[in-house]
Amino acid sequence: MAAAIILLTLSGLSALLWQAPVLEVAELWQSRYLRGVVHFSIWQALLSVILSLLVALPVARALAQLRVFPGRSLLLRLMELSLVMPTIVAVSGLISVYGRQGWLTVWVQDWLPALGWNLYGINGIVLAHVFFNGPLAARILLQALEAVPQPQQRLASQLGLSSWWRWRALEWPAIRAVLPGLGALIFTLCFTSFAIVMTLGGGPSATTLEVAIYQALRFEFDFGRAALLAMVQLLICGSLWWGVLRKGLNTDLAPQRTFAQHQLFVTASRTSRLLYGLLLAGFVVFMLLPLLAVVTRGLPGLWSTEVFAPGSALLDATLRSLAIALPAGGVAVLVALLLLAAGHRSHRWFTRTSEAAGYLPLMVPPLVLGTGLFLLLRPQLGASNEGLLLVTVINGMMALPFVMQVLRGPLHSLDTPSRNLADQLGILGWYRWRWLHWPRMRRPLALGMAYGIGLSLGDFGVIALFGTPGKPTLPMLLYQQLGSYQIHAAAATGLWLVLLLLTVFAVFNLLGWSGSQRPRLFPLTPIPEPRHA
Amino acid sequence: MLEVRQLTFAYPEQSEPWCFDFQVPPGQCLAITGASGAGKSTLLSLLAGFLRPASGSIRWRGEALESLPPAERPVTSVFQEHNLFEHLDVHTNIALGLHPGKKLSAGQHREIDAGLARVGLPGFGKRMPGELSGGQRQRVALLRSTLRKQPLLLLDEPLTGLDDQAQAVMRTLLLEQKAAGVTLILASHHEEDRQVLADRNWNL
Repeated sequence: MAAAIILLTLSGLSALLWQAPVLEVAELWQSRYLRGVVHFSIWQALLSVILSLLVALPVARALAQLRVFPGRSLLLRLMELSLVMPTIVAVSGLISVYGRQGWLTVWVQDWLPALGWNLYGINGIVLAHVFFNGPLAARILLQALEAVPQPQQRLASQLGLSSWWRWRALEWPAIRAVLPGLGALIFTLCFTSFAIVMTLGGGPSATTLEVAIYQALRFEFDFGRAALLAMVQLLICGSLWWGVLRKGLNTDLAPQRTFAQHQLFVTASRTSRLLYGLLLAGFVVFMLLPLLAVVTRGLPGLWSTEVFAPGSALLDATLRSLAIALPAGGVAVLVALLLLAAGHRSHRWFTRTSEAAGYLPLMVPPLVLGTGLFLLLRPQLGASNEGLLLVTVINGMMALPFVMQVLRGPLHSLDTPSRNLADQLGILGWYRWRWLHWPRMRRPLALGMAYGIGLSLGDFGVIALFGTPGKPTLPMLLYQQLGSYQIHAAAATGLWLVLLLLTVFAVFNLLGWSGSQRPRLFPLTPIPEPRHA
Repeated sequence: MLEVRQLTFAYPEQSEPWCFDFQVPPGQCLAITGASGAGKSTLLSLLAGFLRPASGSIRWRGEALESLPPAERPVTSVFQEHNLFEHLDVHTNIALGLHPGKKLSAGQHREIDAGLARVGLPGFGKRMPGELSGGQRQRVALLRSTLRKQPLLLLDEPLTGLDDQAQAVMRTLLLEQKAAGVTLILASHHEEDRQVLADRNWNL
């Protein structure tokens, strides 16, 4: 299976290289446009990483200090949302708040006309990136902070360490370990960000590689240039991840589902608690405003009946989106299971290969993979459904790193005594899966499925490449509506997409529970939660 | 007759390997004692097939066992703890000992229910292991091993950590097994266990 993924990636890449005769490497530094694109891609990604971390660090610290307050776990769940929130929906929410007619913009222009705030361009791109990655980063950093052994935390509070020494003695060592992986993750996500740059980027001065590839492919039919840009992108992301993985990755790519149980006496002083509280309040407003905008603007649009009339654009797009996303979730879970199972029972190098194969989709951005396959299969592709099949497969691959993380812990959680016992009783093969793995795996599997489906539902990059404008998926429809200033329709589509996502998560959460496992027994016999999820 | 001949084994970091050489007649109980780390559990794991010996042979009624996988050996083990799958109920835990895919006849299901009643746990089939006390869990584990009807019973500190009453119940059950002709290998540092159960003592 690992071989298949590597093969798929390699065939995509070699298709790119096969275009090499046409590509002119020199263009890269001769063309002002391309130089600008590369420069802007790196610059906005770096800026996004720095700002995201600057937001995330104090928030994570505040959350680590204030362990008990009403709504804390709700806030943590909300912070996880950015992992599956469709970018295009969030962007529409951001536009409602910070755009030309936005809630805040109107207010800011009244009071500070000199600021000349404009969402479009680097401002909006970085703002959207921070909106997405700040909460995720804060969640992962909080996890690192909470992992500091309890005796050390007790000692620190007993010694009454000042904030600075607390940071030096406890927090920085805990955070330092996860920082490279986290930074690389955010950098990759921002560097390859597509939907945000498409909607908020303004002209050639605010274009990233990802968008330039798309434009070269779809509008200029300049495959050589697309190949060149894809190679540049691959080179940058690949070397970044190679560096990080070589040092050993100890960053969770997705937050864990369990929250730290222990509650420590709050040692922070009254003033610092107040400051932390204000900080968190500001953070919550920052996170909630765009979501609120999506809901309030979308509701009236969804209320009318003709939106769901048979054959309406929204209904059509919904069916198309589900037809792509449901199998994509299946692909992601199946491939992740096979990779993990293969990695578990074989040689060391093989384990590492198959685990690394799971990270490949992060190193090779989906659009690059898509570009290669697009070039490879171009003759056969037109307005056909095979394109959509390819979208399903690539969407599934995109979700792979996250799904693998959800499944890894529980799949390997069978302890030695249980394994010995199962060996003696002859519970092998299918029986072992049925009786020992399946009961532990069904909840993580359901969650992994939901992640896979969710990411594919919100995908805008790959579908933009392979889809046809006449047959849009939900994110495409939303983009078209945003582009043609159908603000109300766009708001309705955005809200509908979010509701669909929440339904997917709710349904799979229920599926994970039903059957012989009765929730009543849960407190007595906890099913092991994924350690890394 | 269980015959163990020149059975050697060493963990990677161990300089001098263990070497076991002994025999036990059918229906007898051999008690093994020794400080922790003396190799009691290792020996039982070798007999059960969880560990592979470096050399030597294990024979049961003349048949060589050392190359068989654990499931094909005529043995069943009861450990000090972790005898039950925590996520499965008591009935399923026992049933998986009778058939690895829980494909049982109606008679076998009744046998399990009757067995539970016999060990003092009537109607406990639907309980989860986490709801049981240590003694109750061990009784379930022992019941499963007896229903498996294997001629060799390997006991690794099965009574350690149980209260007096639970120990008494377990000893009675083990004596029943012995009387039925089952061969017992018992690793225990309880003097009383050895006095009640063992025909022979062996200090490693």
